[in-house]
Amino acid sequence: MDRGRNPNRIGDEDTGLKREGEERLRKVIEDAGIGVLEVNLLTGAISCSAATARLFGVACEALATYDDVLALLHPEDRQSAAQAIKHCIKEHGASELDYRVLGPSGTMCWLCQRSQVYSDRDNVPTHMRGVILDISKRKKAEAELKSREEHLRSVLEIVPDAMIVIDDRGIIISFSAAASRLFGFTESETVGRNVSMLMPEPDRSRHDSYIARYRDTGQARVIGVGRVVTGQRQDGSTFPMQLSLVETCSGEGRHFTGFVRDLTEREETQAKLQELQSELAHMSRLTAMGEMASTLAHELNQPLAAVGNYLNGCRQLLEGTQNPVASEIQDALNEAAEQIVRAGQIIRHLRDFVARGETEKRIERVAKLIEEASALALVGAREQGIKIRFAVDPTVDNVFADRVQVQQVLINLLRNAIDAMQHSTRRELTLVVAPTKANMVMFSVSDTGTGVPDDIAPRLFEPFMTTKLHGMGVGLSISRTIVESHGGRIWAEPNEEGGSIFHFTLQAATESQTDAG
Amino acid sequence: MPANSLITIIDDDESMRKSLAFRLRAAGFRVASYGSALAFLDAPPDIGEGCVVTDIRMPQMDGMELLRRIKSSGRNLHVIVMTGHGDVSLAVEAMKLGASDFIEKPFDDETLLTMIRAALNSAEASSRRDGKALETVELIRSLTAREREVLDGLVAGRSNKDIGRDLDISPRTVEIYRANLMRKMRATSLSELIRIAIKAGLS
Repeated sequence: MDRGRNPNRIGDEDTGLKREGEERLRKVIEDAGIGVLEVNLLTGAISCSAATARLFGVACEALATYDDVLALLHPEDRQSAAQAIKHCIKEHGASELDYRVLGPSGTMCWLCQRSQVYSDRDNVPTHMRGVILDISKRKKAEAELKSREEHLRSVLEIVPDAMIVIDDRGIIISFSAAASRLFGFTESETVGRNVSMLMPEPDRSRHDSYIARYRDTGQARVIGVGRVVTGQRQDGSTFPMQLSLVETCSGEGRHFTGFVRDLTEREETQAKLQELQSELAHMSRLTAMGEMASTLAHELNQPLAAVGNYLNGCRQLLEGTQNPVASEIQDALNEAAEQIVRAGQIIRHLRDFVARGETEKRIERVAKLIEEASALALVGAREQGIKIRFAVDPTVDNVFADRVQVQQVLINLLRNAIDAMQHSTRRELTLVVAPTKANMVMFSVSDTGTGVPDDIAPRLFEPFMTTKLHGMGVGLSISRTIVESHGGRIWAEPNEEGGSIFHFTLQAATESQTDAG
Repeated sequence: MPANSLITIIDDDESMRKSLAFRLRAAGFRVASYGSALAFLDAPPDIGEGCVVTDIRMPQMDGMELLRRIKSSGRNLHVIVMTGHGDVSLAVEAMKLGASDFIEKPFDDETLLTMIRAALNSAEASSRRDGKALETVELIRSLTAREREVLDGLVAGRSNKDIGRDLDISPRTVEIYRANLMRKMRATSLSELIRIAIKAGLS
């Protein structure tokens, strides 16, 4: 056998004592469950301890060659183990390899084999000796730790909050996937660098001192409290973020883990909400005003009627008299009575305008509808240098409509068209009325103004959409409600000559419609 | 028209009552006015024919109840009721209870004067009315069956929605019939349409 363990080299008088000592040590190793294995590399024969056989779950006699040992390994580990041993022999070195064996009870055991190759004087490897340990417990603990880590990692992958871990010098240790999405940096671009790269000035240059202060004084500003700070993305843009920090102390030192939530959307929502609220306040004022107008109209009617009665009474009383002044007074009374009628009409229109409830649809002449609506809508348009053209198809006659409401739609569209051309050099307003299929009449108002911005177009008819500085954004929304309640449709499209065209349709009214029914 | 006819105005609105009284006096009528139906009923009755112009919506006793009392008392009084805007169903009911006519506030004074004169001058009024009624009957005959059904519904004080449900057609179709009716009957308002129809004997 090997020189180091050749008993012939030891003095005879010591032999008994030595053997006794060796026996004790062997017993210690055996009792500790550590297997001992020796392979004769020249013959392939092995000798092993009882503990080794126990670890492999076989009898000592079953292990005659190293191939017998390999045959007991888990099939997946067999080849790698064989290779490792081969490599170790070739290099005359030491090896440590872990493998699994299936014990006799059917349970899987992890074993660790540490071997050393020994050579003769000619440097030919002759023996390999090693110890074998049961490392199942360690492997199990490792696997558990790994699975816990995997779990934690998978959770962190999906939480919307970005997670960044730094050490006590501010150097990034870990940068989650959510953090990558949020900041636009990859993990490799950030890990190992100072976390200050994720913040704008002045925090960027001060961050190291923040950490230093905390280290020295223990006074936390953010840790455990959380606060809203500003982050900076890879492209240099900044955003509001909620930062929550936790401190962890482990054997490797002090770490800070930061959770970051992007507040951009929340702040935008809040701003939008605020805007909407103020618009709502405006709307409710308008509604209140509408109700007030309705009440006012009702209240004013009585005194107006009374004044009318007095005026007309006076006029009649004067009819019989011969006083030269009388005729002059009568003229004045006539004028006054006419003004009363006018005031009454204004009030009636106001009340019709704000009135709710069932609409009164009648057969209305299109020409008259347009004439009345344009008289009101086009006030001052010509003075602004706007060219106005009406083109009403001669076959269009009557529509079925609530006059006041449809005129409101027309007035809306015409006023919008005029407003849109305020800054245009070319100012042309055209109203085309033509019959369409399905017994409808289409009204088209086109202008050469600024046109509808692309981002507004899809929501053009929604309430509170406006491109005007002082607009309420309710005109088109109301128009749509009116047109749809008439069984029609309203839509907009760009004008090929610049500006936009608004179309709406109404039911045509013909004699045959009900006579046939 | 009897020269000495008394026109009684009943309205809880003072400005309306006083101004109307002035207007009617200027037109040559003898006028009395009361702020409530009860005050009128408590007052000693005037002898002979007369015409009562009463508001329909009043506290305590309304115009409808007053109309019922007058009709059941057997007094020789014509009653014209003044209705608010859109009180069509009340107007229809008043006509059925025996009101001579109804007028929607706010109204033109000449229209009211014509109504009063027509009511007082019964003979003249009825003959004129007959002529008008005959014409109206002709108009009603010219209606299609569906239009007639819609007119009946309107006279019964029903809404577009109700009429649509009764006739199993959409409210929008009712609106079309209604618009055609107005044109055919030469009415400028719903209350006028109903007045014409009731006077022609439709109820």
